[in-house]
Amino acid sequence: MCPRGITLRQDFLSHYGRQLGTLSGLLALVVALWILTPHFLTISNLLNVAEQATIIAIIAVGMTFVIITGGIDLAVGSVLAFSGVVMASSLQSGIPLPLALLIGLGVGLLCGVVNGLLITIGRLPPFIATLGMMSVARGAALMFTEGRPISGFSEGFRSIATGEILRIPAPVVIMIVVYVIAHFVLKRTKLGRYTYAIGGNEEAALLSGINVRLNKTLVYGIAGLLSGLAAILLTARLNSAQPIAGMSYELDAIAATVIGGTSLLGGEGTVSGTLIGALIMAVLRNGLNLLSVSSFFQQVVIGSVIILAVLIDMALKRRGK
Amino acid sequence: MKKGLVLVLLVILSVTFLSCQRGTEQAGGAPRIALVLKTANNPFFIDMQKGAEEAARKLGVNLIVQAAEREVDVEKQMQIIENLIQTKVAALCVTPSGSREIVPAIEKANRAGIPVVIVDTRVDAKAMSESNGKVASFIGSDNYEGGKLAGEFIAKKLGGKGKVAVLEGIPGHETGDSRLKGFREALKATPEIEIVASQTANWERDQGFNVFQNILQSHPDIQAVFACSDLMALGAVEAIAAAKKTGQITVIGFDASDEARKAVLAGTMDATVAQSPAEMGALAVENAYHLIKGEAVKAELVVPIKLITKENAAVK
Repeated sequence: MCPRGITLRQDFLSHYGRQLGTLSGLLALVVALWILTPHFLTISNLLNVAEQATIIAIIAVGMTFVIITGGIDLAVGSVLAFSGVVMASSLQSGIPLPLALLIGLGVGLLCGVVNGLLITIGRLPPFIATLGMMSVARGAALMFTEGRPISGFSEGFRSIATGEILRIPAPVVIMIVVYVIAHFVLKRTKLGRYTYAIGGNEEAALLSGINVRLNKTLVYGIAGLLSGLAAILLTARLNSAQPIAGMSYELDAIAATVIGGTSLLGGEGTVSGTLIGALIMAVLRNGLNLLSVSSFFQQVVIGSVIILAVLIDMALKRRGK
Repeated sequence: MKKGLVLVLLVILSVTFLSCQRGTEQAGGAPRIALVLKTANNPFFIDMQKGAEEAARKLGVNLIVQAAEREVDVEKQMQIIENLIQTKVAALCVTPSGSREIVPAIEKANRAGIPVVIVDTRVDAKAMSESNGKVASFIGSDNYEGGKLAGEFIAKKLGGKGKVAVLEGIPGHETGDSRLKGFREALKATPEIEIVASQTANWERDQGFNVFQNILQSHPDIQAVFACSDLMALGAVEAIAAAKKTGQITVIGFDASDEARKAVLAGTMDATVAQSPAEMGALAVENAYHLIKGEAVKAELVVPIKLITKENAAVK
């Protein structure tokens, strides 16, 4: 069932072409850094970059789903902090590791579903609903911890961030698994196709019998769940869950998604593009550090790249049509 | 489409080239020492950077200074340290954004054979002892002692009786927590001085303004405020001015930044506690230099602290 029929193939082609554009951007960046510093293109640094990209990359998957439906989720950073501290305190109160992880994921999922219900049943604009949740979850995290970080965990828990699978850092493996699953869901399942359909034309999706409310709620639930997953990785990485963690991560995730070619208007986008977007941001930050660029100038560069990427993306899109 | 791609390439190349030129200035045969600040937009850390740069020039080392955009961003700070490890710096000086969260980064540096000098904010002793990492040297000022000085000043100024408010830093920060502890300890000697409000303003000036304005609403009879940093104190000064109470409330800050010294001279602030960030930065680089040479360094260096009032506030 596809409410947009004929245009789908065209969209597919333009997706493919545009991702190639983003990918060449990433490659250009890699080549530039390779020339500029001997420290960039080493296996240890590339693994380093991949690991640094994981948190934003995982949040950005949820963001991609949400943005494809034509929505936005500003709460992901705060939800990350809240699920992180709840999971951390469960761990410290002696709850077994797997259960504590499920609690962390559950809190994230719950926050996301509440966002979804506010948007679908409450008919709030996504911007407002998630802006509210951003503040509620942040405040809840601060109340829950009385403002203090919760730290000091078992080796078992920390190995989620410090462990390696076939010499690849565990968080990178987890990120790859998330992306493979997300790609499959988006391209091969009803939920995925409905996600595009809702973003393309919500009215038409509704008329063609798609349960828009359910699917939208699920999508915000996914975004929350992935914030919970990112919280687990961040807490294990820093050996500490902070109530102020994840501030402005929503903006990094939106940037990665948009650099990756997902349209803020909804209806189009791919997770593979988002992965490239997240990698571009991470490579850029890494490279600027390696080159000892002043931290003020770094912000100028990162902002310029975001603007440039979207400008080029839009130019290509116009030409495609 | 091709045009677009060429454009991306060109811009990225030129941008990175621009940045590279700054980078290569610092390259060369001399040992490379990195200083990672909490942030580069707080006068305290700017002074520290100046002191460190001065020392680096004298010693003939290349100093790389990096900082996260936001003071509290522990994850960004960790990324910066990881990236510096990749460039194989000879030694790292860090002002930790989080007393505990810094520990994994120290472990990583040590594993790469890089000694770590900690400046300003002490690393949580328990978290450190549970890890495999080691702090080669700590350079800081005695924040507890500073808080005590502030408490004693307020006790004297109020004549041992009155209502006091406190603007705290970010909870869980060793620096702010120690200042607070010292302050409370000093006030124990004068039981008639009551801390009626103690709230965090997250080290920020605008929050210092808002939080103190709110406190004034609920406790209009407050006679003194102790802010754990000058930025928050200066925010409180504005809130006091907005409430038309300038001169009626004793304000004491911490850090003795230039602006706070001016405020003390102008009479809008009563005192501030002086640390010497420039000296801390210089000592950090010197210690790092000794470590690279394989020389022994002191495990802990305490930079003296003193109270700045109208008499000694003149900007150096």
